[in-house]
Amino acid sequence: MTWVEFPYVAACAMVCWGAGSVLSVFSARKNVLDVTGRTFMIAGTAIMVFFLVVFWMELDRPPLRTLGETRLWYATLIPVVGFLVEYRWGIGWLKYYCVALASFFLVVNISFPDVYDKTLMPALQSGWFVPHVVVYLIGYVLLAASSAAAWHNLYRSMRSADNDGQALSHYLALLGFVFLTFGLVFGAFWAKEAWGHYWTWDPKETWALIAWLVYLGYMHANSANVDKNQLQWYLALAFLVLLVSWFGVNYLPSAQNSVHTYQTG
Amino acid sequence: MSSEGEKGSVVSSWSFREGVIFSILLVAAGFVVEAARGAQGVVLPPWPVNGIVLLVFSAYIVVVALVLRENSFFKWLGGIPLGLCLIIAIAVLSLFGGVLPQEEGAGPLWARTLRLNNVFSSWPFALTVFFFLFNLGLSLVWKTVPFRSSNLQFILFHAGFWIALACGLLGSADLQRVIIPLYEGRSTDRAYDAFSKAMIDLPFSIYLNDFRMEEYEPWLALYDPGKDQIEVDESGKRDGAAEGMMVSWQGVEVKVEKFFPFAVIDAGTGIPVPAEAGRGVPYAFLSGKNDGKPFSGWVSTGSPFEKPAFVEVGDRLLILVNGSPKKFRSEVTIRSGEDGDGLSEALEVNKPVSIKGWKLYQMGYDEKSGRWSDLSLVEGVRDPWLPAVYLGFFMILAGNTLFFWKGIRKK
Repeated sequence: MTWVEFPYVAACAMVCWGAGSVLSVFSARKNVLDVTGRTFMIAGTAIMVFFLVVFWMELDRPPLRTLGETRLWYATLIPVVGFLVEYRWGIGWLKYYCVALASFFLVVNISFPDVYDKTLMPALQSGWFVPHVVVYLIGYVLLAASSAAAWHNLYRSMRSADNDGQALSHYLALLGFVFLTFGLVFGAFWAKEAWGHYWTWDPKETWALIAWLVYLGYMHANSANVDKNQLQWYLALAFLVLLVSWFGVNYLPSAQNSVHTYQTG
Repeated sequence: MSSEGEKGSVVSSWSFREGVIFSILLVAAGFVVEAARGAQGVVLPPWPVNGIVLLVFSAYIVVVALVLRENSFFKWLGGIPLGLCLIIAIAVLSLFGGVLPQEEGAGPLWARTLRLNNVFSSWPFALTVFFFLFNLGLSLVWKTVPFRSSNLQFILFHAGFWIALACGLLGSADLQRVIIPLYEGRSTDRAYDAFSKAMIDLPFSIYLNDFRMEEYEPWLALYDPGKDQIEVDESGKRDGAAEGMMVSWQGVEVKVEKFFPFAVIDAGTGIPVPAEAGRGVPYAFLSGKNDGKPFSGWVSTGSPFEKPAFVEVGDRLLILVNGSPKKFRSEVTIRSGEDGDGLSEALEVNKPVSIKGWKLYQMGYDEKSGRWSDLSLVEGVRDPWLPAVYLGFFMILAGNTLFFWKGIRKK
């Protein structure tokens, strides 16, 4: 299974998530609908996991090189965060945002298909490749979920005063920050091995630093007792910076000399 | 947790407002300096001056933090509100660095006047980082003295960040990056500086025994000379050529009948025959149909010594495109003063070799000659401050791990 079969696989996953969401929303504590809904939700993600595994095996290299490939991981992992949050903290609404985000990234991948390309340039042939990118992706996934939770909180605070979701966006941001830090430092170690220096102010590095600083700022704003509602705005918007460092960098004037562009075709 | 113990939002507090005003003035002052001095930027002093600066600066922070602990100005200088403002200031300055091309002479005039095309060696950046280190240092001393084990995570993360940032920036003055051009069968002990182009003598010599390059399999493409573009085949795949493979474009169907990874034209018959890697280039014999009309012929990638072969299909061409580089390696013998035999090493991308305080990297080759290149470019890097920066990195990671662990348990 490759990019050729991908649209069908992605459609199946999205149908499962969609059906699962509808069933869960309307289950109203009816056990049968609830269980069926959950099964559909998990089936959608299981399809994506299966595709990733088979794709990896056919590609003979980790599918982590192109932006399209990273979106694939992202779409697979972010619903997992939603499921885990429900399992651990009993908060059910996050998973809907998560499958919506995942579907969005699958649609992006269907609309802009990647060239199926097995090659891996020498700079990426390193033991650091998988840990660096996977740690970053987990961080991005958690922070996306944190941002989704923050948007939900903002919407809720406009309608009523209850704020039970604030702790959720906060903890997801903390966890995301930990992974972001690991990703950044792993990247520095790898850069030393591959390019001779741990930090060269390459545009991708600069943007990764900006995103890290923005979340570092969040941690300090939180410690300094900044108003909780303002912090929800902060988290909701901070993710946009992360998106620039993930996708946007390639389109900026600074990117012309970047060593971080691995697209082909 | 606010050091001021204020109630309500810190955003409306005086310490925060002062922090915002201070950060803006600091950055503005830096820009004024750049504009006034012709955007020359900050030149950091090399060893030993940078070492002395670091020592004096850190000693000053420790003394001030301990002696003036209750002074309200220093409390503000080492407080979270100012720290937050300076973090945002660094992020905003980095934003310029992340958007505008960072190169000498690049960008519009206003950006060059303010050195926004080299923002990370500019005065506004240096001033902001200086006060950020001051702020971070003060809070670190206060959390460390008296020591409590519950502060360990804070100390590891903040001290690690301080060490990595301070040593990374001050140590950059001692960083040397040189390019060592190596030719097969020759030895050299000279290199040129990547920035200044000045020649320097190395404390060792390198002899290049062999430069070898591997490529991925070549792939078939349909080239439109009119539009000067390559058309992607219908499957959206870019697979390496192999015998029996079928590829199709709109109206064009092709089968690879024969594929030789390395072949030369037989002088007698004029037909490609398999050869050893050093001499041959990839050849493929194709047959197919273009709008129902059959065609066949040989295609090859060509080489610096040989023209590529292609098959005409209407007004387009079927070509064989060289695969991208898979691996390149330089087999070298490194000799340094005392040992006569030398050290046999293989340099590869992602596999540097350390010698006498230098790290050697496989960097490049003569790209026009591809795998026939007898030139190998090796980069030499000397960074005496690296252990200090790495110590900082490891402390950050340790602090982070602790934070993760404690955070989970709290929940």
